Amino acid sequence: MKILKKIQTLTGIATLAMLAVGLWFVYGAPEDFQQGGAVRILYIHVPSAKMALLSYLFVTVASVLYLWKRSETADILAEAATSVGAAFTAITLASGSIWGKPMWGTWWAWDARLTSMLVLLILFKGLMVLRNSLDDPIKGARATAILAIIGAVDLPIIHYSVVWWRTLHQPPSMAASGNSGVHISGPLLPPLLILSGAFILMGLFMVTVKARQIEARRHLDALESARMHPDE
Amino acid sequence: MLKAVYRIAWKDVAGDLRRRATLSSMLFFAISVLVVFQAAFEPDRKEALRLLPGLLWATTLFTTLVGLGRVFQAEEEDGAFEGLLLASVPRGVIFFGKWLGNLLLTLLVEFLILPLTLVLFNVDAWGHVPAILGILTLGTLGLTGLGTLLAAMTRGARSRETLLALLLLPLTAPMLIAGVQAIAGVLLQDGEVIPWLKLLIIFDLVYLAMAPWAFGWLVEE
Repeated sequence: MKILKKIQTLTGIATLAMLAVGLWFVYGAPEDFQQGGAVRILYIHVPSAKMALLSYLFVTVASVLYLWKRSETADILAEAATSVGAAFTAITLASGSIWGKPMWGTWWAWDARLTSMLVLLILFKGLMVLRNSLDDPIKGARATAILAIIGAVDLPIIHYSVVWWRTLHQPPSMAASGNSGVHISGPLLPPLLILSGAFILMGLFMVTVKARQIEARRHLDALESARMHPDE
Repeated sequence: MLKAVYRIAWKDVAGDLRRRATLSSMLFFAISVLVVFQAAFEPDRKEALRLLPGLLWATTLFTTLVGLGRVFQAEEEDGAFEGLLLASVPRGVIFFGKWLGNLLLTLLVEFLILPLTLVLFNVDAWGHVPAILGILTLGTLGLTGLGTLLAAMTRGARSRETLLALLLLPLTAPMLIAGVQAIAGVLLQDGEVIPWLKLLIIFDLVYLAMAPWAFGWLVEE
């Protein structure tokens, strides 16, 4: 796929440029009057959280396309986006924890968002493990695609079940993490938007790099099996 | 159609009742989970009442994994799965047959385990037994539905038992939360029960609607 190489170069350059502009804005942005400098972790945390969910959406769409059209490209893209999504999910959880320790006084709380993000990470890992533990690549691809779709249907139910779990009985003491009517102030917004854009480009860049890797590896595997079984 | 579902389920259940392979390992696994809980937490009577909903569901979930590891075992050993697929019924019917067989065995174990738990943990909740059994049954419908599908998905996979646990446990989070809260609501007589039952029903409907369709995709050659 020649086009992937072009996309990789383009998104690579664009990501670098946008990250540079975004970081320049971050240094210009004022500190939060309560949170001080720690608010800056938000510029990593929020874009990666968006990318984690976007990656899952991408995996789901690619999986549907794979089952429907049987296109191997869709399967390669799904596999690539799975690892990229897992990475963004891990970054979201880690950066949120680092922010949570000084702000909430704890690394972790069983809040709805945190819990469903953790389930998302396990789900990404499950997709990766499932594909690797089936010997027949076609069966592996099909099972993984179906699991991705099941996960896409289950994720909203998981999210709402933990929301209800944590709000039916207890007062929402951790609601600072949710939309408790808190609005971000004006000057903090532009760097966040620019960095979100940069992260989307970075995600695309990572998916293309990974997809080209996977394509090359599958090509190698095919050559290897042709060499081992020349008569087939 | 219904007859085919019943035949496939009966083949599994009757075969298992005669050999007592899956049923007895599930039962004794469940008992050992109870022993582990008792040794790990040493609850007194009051704590045991509070822990009971979680205890029941955790035992159910772990025990289900044992049963699910064997759903397709008989067919795999004899290479009979292809034969089953050749049956002139839709793939969804085959799925429902395998699901029903697994469901019946799992429910049987749950029904045996509940009185045992009440006795072993010295909890006086005998008046709530029908309600608790109802909630366990409601959750188990979707749990075994999702589980049977995942068992079909991991058929022939390396280290499938571990894989099955890794895939099943996160996806059953809604069932676990709703099931535990519903039983707690019944036992303590103060919590909400109906909203959690609704969540369990949503969980059941989603999985029992999706699974036969997904099963058809999975076994296609």
